[in-house]
Amino acid sequence: MRIRFDASACVGHGRCYALAPEVYDADDLGHCLVRFDVVPPELEDQARVGAHNCPEAALTVEP
Amino acid sequence: MSYSPPAVNPETREANPYRPDVAADPLAFYEQLRTRCPVANMEGVPSGTHIISRYEDVKFALRHPEIFSSDVVAVDIGQDRPLIPLQIDPPDHAKYRRLMDPQLGPKEVAYLEESTRALVNEIIDGFIGRGSCDFHAELSVPFPCTVFLQLTGLPLDDLDQFLTWKDNIIRPDVPFGDAEAAQQVRYSTGRAMYEYFEGVIEDRLSNPGDDVISRFVHGDIEGRTLTREEIADVLYLFILGGLDTVTSTLDCSIAYLAQHPSHRRALVEDPSLVPAAVEELLRLHTPVMQVMRVVKQEHEMHGVRMMPGDHVIVMLGAADTDPDEFGETADDLHLGRETNRHFAFGGGPHRCLGSHLARLELRVALEELHRRIPDYAIAEGAELSYSPGIREIASLPLVFEPGPTLAGAAS
Repeated sequence: MRIRFDASACVGHGRCYALAPEVYDADDLGHCLVRFDVVPPELEDQARVGAHNCPEAALTVEP
Repeated sequence: MSYSPPAVNPETREANPYRPDVAADPLAFYEQLRTRCPVANMEGVPSGTHIISRYEDVKFALRHPEIFSSDVVAVDIGQDRPLIPLQIDPPDHAKYRRLMDPQLGPKEVAYLEESTRALVNEIIDGFIGRGSCDFHAELSVPFPCTVFLQLTGLPLDDLDQFLTWKDNIIRPDVPFGDAEAAQQVRYSTGRAMYEYFEGVIEDRLSNPGDDVISRFVHGDIEGRTLTREEIADVLYLFILGGLDTVTSTLDCSIAYLAQHPSHRRALVEDPSLVPAAVEELLRLHTPVMQVMRVVKQEHEMHGVRMMPGDHVIVMLGAADTDPDEFGETADDLHLGRETNRHFAFGGGPHRCLGSHLARLELRVALEELHRRIPDYAIAEGAELSYSPGIREIASLPLVFEPGPTLAGAAS
């Protein structure tokens, strides 16, 4: 699984790293930092939950 | 019950979200707006003030500030200049947020968890032995306000003054519908606030501390410090945002949980559900019912042409209960909701600057309250009065089994 992150859409809601802290992190502004290019299989569920809860749809997961 | 015209009239396309009965229970109003009148006109305003309500439309407006601007024309609340950063659109907006966001970002806010938890427990100690409280006056108001004063270094002695100011601006005490009187109250309040801020800025320039205002006063944007006017424009917004919205969210949330014991019991039995509950309570109640925008480019929505200069009431609460986004359970609190992309903190570039702090305060308050007072109810005969626009409850009398104070247990 890969994560596509549109940095220009991220405004720092912080839902991704609140719900999936092992997959997403925050920078100083509270914007998203994606920890992996390729998500380890055991974190795929987390990655999906974090992406689906972004109010700006800045994150998409690709199988 | 006395007659009142419907808050949404699909024939005239008029609607009025500011009627008191709407604030108390907005779900039916939102549903009518979304299904029968997705672009309504504000009642009593000749034309050119649109109300939008569907999730997709609200999302579009929030994400397109070049069409739906948040600039100073969008809302007149007694200010001389645009509020910073709310009334500055991209691209200038970003330079202010780069200075401000880190001060209220998730990492900075996390340091406040311990002191915030101690504070809420101290506040609960003040009423737990009595078996009753006015939750609004005794917790919803003092808790977030004290956190705000600690963060900003503003004096506790002036809190009543700040509360009067923000109420004058958000819910001026004038007869319903008297817009002129409301604006007069807002303007005179604005003058008093600017005058007060001058003293604060002077103090922080000569005696910088570790507070957020000092960091703004001495902070750097694109190689310069903020002007005194810019700092005043930040503080104006801070008084309104920092002293009102968490109060309203706590009021709405606890009133709801008092009336829905099964959800309350779920939180008592499994405190790990609290973060999900915070999101659902924010979504379902969306205490900041709306944000205001002004049209910059001609735009058509559902066959209605919006012209430059038109005002738009972006009904966040209606979007957050839209079944097209949230499904059949949109009007219910659903702790297991897997996808919850609500706009209770707005969205797009103007996402609430204080959202990380607000979430911390809400989580800590719900955790400690349900740990110490697992069972509570609204006092018999109490009538809850919700204020329109930002849904504060004037008084929220609760009753519960008295419990021990933590201070008492420790001594």
